[in-house]
Amino acid sequence: MSEIKVVANILHTNEEITSKNKEVLNEKGIYVINMMSSPGSGKTSLLERVISKLKGQLSIAVIEGDLYTTKDAERIEAQGVPVVQINTGGACHLDGKMIKGALESLNLDNVDLLVIENVGNLVCPAAFELGEDIKITVLSTTEGNDKPLKYPRMFENSGAIILNKLDLLEFTNFNKMEFYNDINALNAHAKIFETSCVKDQGIDDLCFWLSQQIDHKRGGNILCQE
Amino acid sequence: MHEVSIIQNVIEIATQKAFENNFSKINKVSLKIGQLTGVMPESLNFAFDSCIQGTMLEESTLGIEEVDALGKCEACNLQFSISHFNKLCPTCNNFCTSIVRGYELYVDTIEGD
Repeated sequence: MSEIKVVANILHTNEEITSKNKEVLNEKGIYVINMMSSPGSGKTSLLERVISKLKGQLSIAVIEGDLYTTKDAERIEAQGVPVVQINTGGACHLDGKMIKGALESLNLDNVDLLVIENVGNLVCPAAFELGEDIKITVLSTTEGNDKPLKYPRMFENSGAIILNKLDLLEFTNFNKMEFYNDINALNAHAKIFETSCVKDQGIDDLCFWLSQQIDHKRGGNILCQE
Repeated sequence: MHEVSIIQNVIEIATQKAFENNFSKINKVSLKIGQLTGVMPESLNFAFDSCIQGTMLEESTLGIEEVDALGKCEACNLQFSISHFNKLCPTCNNFCTSIVRGYELYVDTIEGD
């Protein structure tokens, strides 16, 4: 019997495809967000708000991940930006191969910002790179402030975290101090935003910061909001 | 997590390596799994026992080595043990600037004839 040293990444297939996706996106200078959260935290509502505020100055495209329906894609389409729907058919996360297919059906010329809205799930999407520049995780006040500790990987790997449904805070037992302490322990470098789509709170700050990130990637020639 | 699809990839990688090395049978596959991956060894074992049926790994065993997580402090260059919930440098109390290891997910070795 003999032993062979292998050292092969188990998720190598995804990583190979993802690095090719990244090459294409970097070449075009497109800033890519992988947006993740539980189902119902408000990813699509946030996206609607952000798109309506930024579409006048930026060219935005969206990839919508959903198990079965086109409901979210229809909402994004109503904002007048190109959107590609990926139906995973029950799979709980998007992967590099699905993104590769979606990129082929989008016209990427002159796109500044590509938002990939992942399948609503706080576990699996965190483990699958898609070729993004940043992972943004959305948590809503109604889910409870214990979620970052219960689902650490997603919050640990996110460059920004959005606390959404701030308008409902007073009706919940969400403890903001515990939330901030937990995020500090998991990922002290994450940028944190507090938003309410219903009351239009915090969206301008989020848009301004996103514009800066996009601007940075493109080398500084896009006007920032405000 | 995705223990079944992870095991399917493990079987694919091990089978490929076995062919390259003219093995007719695989006796053991060893994995390295980082503590931060969220992958459960018990679930991997369960998935392994089910998925190896009818493959050249059918009589093999699965070895799993867990890799502890290490962070690095930019201020003092110290590398130190971290967990999801504690990433502070023990000497200067700064949050670790980079995660050095803990996200490993790979096939380390195979043994066969």
